[in-house]
Amino acid sequence: MRKFSGYTRLLIFLALLSVAITTLYPLLYVAMTSARTLEDYVKNAYGLPKFFTIDSYRILIENYSLGTAAKNTIIVVGLSLFTALIFAAFAGFALAKYDFPGSKAINWSFIAVMLLPSQILIIPIYLLLSKFSLVGHLYGLMFVYIGTNIPFGVFFLKSTFSAVPDSILDAARIDGAGFFKSFFLIALPNAAAGITTLAVLQFLGMWNELLYAFLILPDQSQRLLTPALASIGGRYTTNQPLVAAALCITAIPTLILLAMSSKYLVRGASTGIGSSS
Amino acid sequence: MTSPALVKVGSTSGPTFTGRVGGFAPRGSLARQKQRIGFLAVFPAFFVVASLLFFPIGYAIWISFQKTDGVTSKFIGLNNYLDIITAPLVHQVFVTNFKFLVAIPMVIFLGLFTAVLLYQEIWGWRFFRIIFFLPSVLSASVIGLMFRSAFTLNGPINSALITLGFEPINFFAKANTAIFVVVLALIWAGFGYAMMILLSGLMTIDSDLFAAAEVDGAGWWQRFWYLIIPSIRQQLAFVTVINTLFTFTSLFGFIFVMTAGGPLYSTTTLDYLVFQKAFSANDMGQGSALAIMIFVIIALLTITQSKYLKNDSGR
Repeated sequence: MRKFSGYTRLLIFLALLSVAITTLYPLLYVAMTSARTLEDYVKNAYGLPKFFTIDSYRILIENYSLGTAAKNTIIVVGLSLFTALIFAAFAGFALAKYDFPGSKAINWSFIAVMLLPSQILIIPIYLLLSKFSLVGHLYGLMFVYIGTNIPFGVFFLKSTFSAVPDSILDAARIDGAGFFKSFFLIALPNAAAGITTLAVLQFLGMWNELLYAFLILPDQSQRLLTPALASIGGRYTTNQPLVAAALCITAIPTLILLAMSSKYLVRGASTGIGSSS
Repeated sequence: MTSPALVKVGSTSGPTFTGRVGGFAPRGSLARQKQRIGFLAVFPAFFVVASLLFFPIGYAIWISFQKTDGVTSKFIGLNNYLDIITAPLVHQVFVTNFKFLVAIPMVIFLGLFTAVLLYQEIWGWRFFRIIFFLPSVLSASVIGLMFRSAFTLNGPINSALITLGFEPINFFAKANTAIFVVVLALIWAGFGYAMMILLSGLMTIDSDLFAAAEVDGAGWWQRFWYLIIPSIRQQLAFVTVINTLFTFTSLFGFIFVMTAGGPLYSTTTLDYLVFQKAFSANDMGQGSALAIMIFVIIALLTITQSKYLKNDSGR
């Protein structure tokens, strides 16, 4: 299987290259379109731009408050991710290493709730948040992101912490380490790779989320990036450079993250499988 | 004679990190203290999940028996469910949703094709792997909008068609062409994840098997059908199930930015209809009832699918 001759290997390389071009070309096209003027785009959509400009980006930040949207997104995603990870890590560590009556039932309830489709939850969560006047507040959305990300986080980190050897934890306990000491000084450093993987996956999930962000922050001044992008894309179909720039602003952080943490994403992509075998 | 003291060494009386105590440990004991710490550590996460996920599930069921716009409500029993079952629009949307399943065989084919080629570990394969996975980290709204911009009436695809001497096509004005563009976006967005899962399956195949097959004189196709495919059955099953779930529950982002369900509900999917009923038509009761029915449908679908795929692998 793996022993193909040089000629066949060249063919395989070319096949892969063509799929890669199909994948990359639309993205490069968008990136290039975002950096040209509208007149230049209308004249020649496929050629290289005469000169590069950041006008579209400037317009988006000045007139469509995309800078604010980016700031709001960073605040919401940052705080939600941090809180969800802390809660999930404590729970995952306890479920892996501190058995108590009912821990199995709690563990199963986290797994069961992971399987629920989000549209069942949208309506009751929306009504619930509006009863507490949290619709229109960044906090409201943070609650949702924290709640919806914890179950998978616990599931993932429970198996990560299970791999930490009992012997070092026992040794630490004999030396007088309590829960927090064991957690921060032994469990966390030993599970760093797993936690990074989870953080990357959940960052992407929150950053890319559209429905809750759209519903819970209806006010223009508080919009996050994805709803802002959707509304710009819906209104300015003729100004392609503007839409392309909005696409780039939303997509670039996730692409940078992929470039930096591909090792962890490759690991994370196959986690759904590992447990079912 | 064995001394009792010797027997005690190595027995598992004290609480260790693995020792399952079962039930409450004696009051005041170290084990009891550990149980309490464990419970306290799980509690914050459990509390958040209970109030933001468990409670809303019950609330959703309650809402589904009401006629409500979120402000006033009236109990109407099963009427929301009956309305949904008898509505021609829901039937149409259900059929539309099945049309989007067309993307799945394409996603799996392309995922398998690229995974098998990457498995050769040709020059630059790690780089290719990341490129193919690239769309998976993008938001549905980014991908949807990219394809919408590309296929819009005065967009780049149409200007290419004009240059080649064809008539421009208004892709989003007709049901079939609109679905075609959405399906194209789904394939572009989804094959990389399938590739990643299938490749991780391929990597676990014992290379001795290939050597044995070669000794037996098996050709490439024979090895593909009788060795590779059976070895990654589990991964293929997973990719099929997860993509089916995705088609019934997660197309919202794509539909929202690409077609808004139109023209005339022809690209409205079930999850988009829930959103429309609840937040455009302000009928939270029907929205909830529909969401619960979707959940029942996909639960049944997932159970049958995984049963079928499991039985298949037993052959």
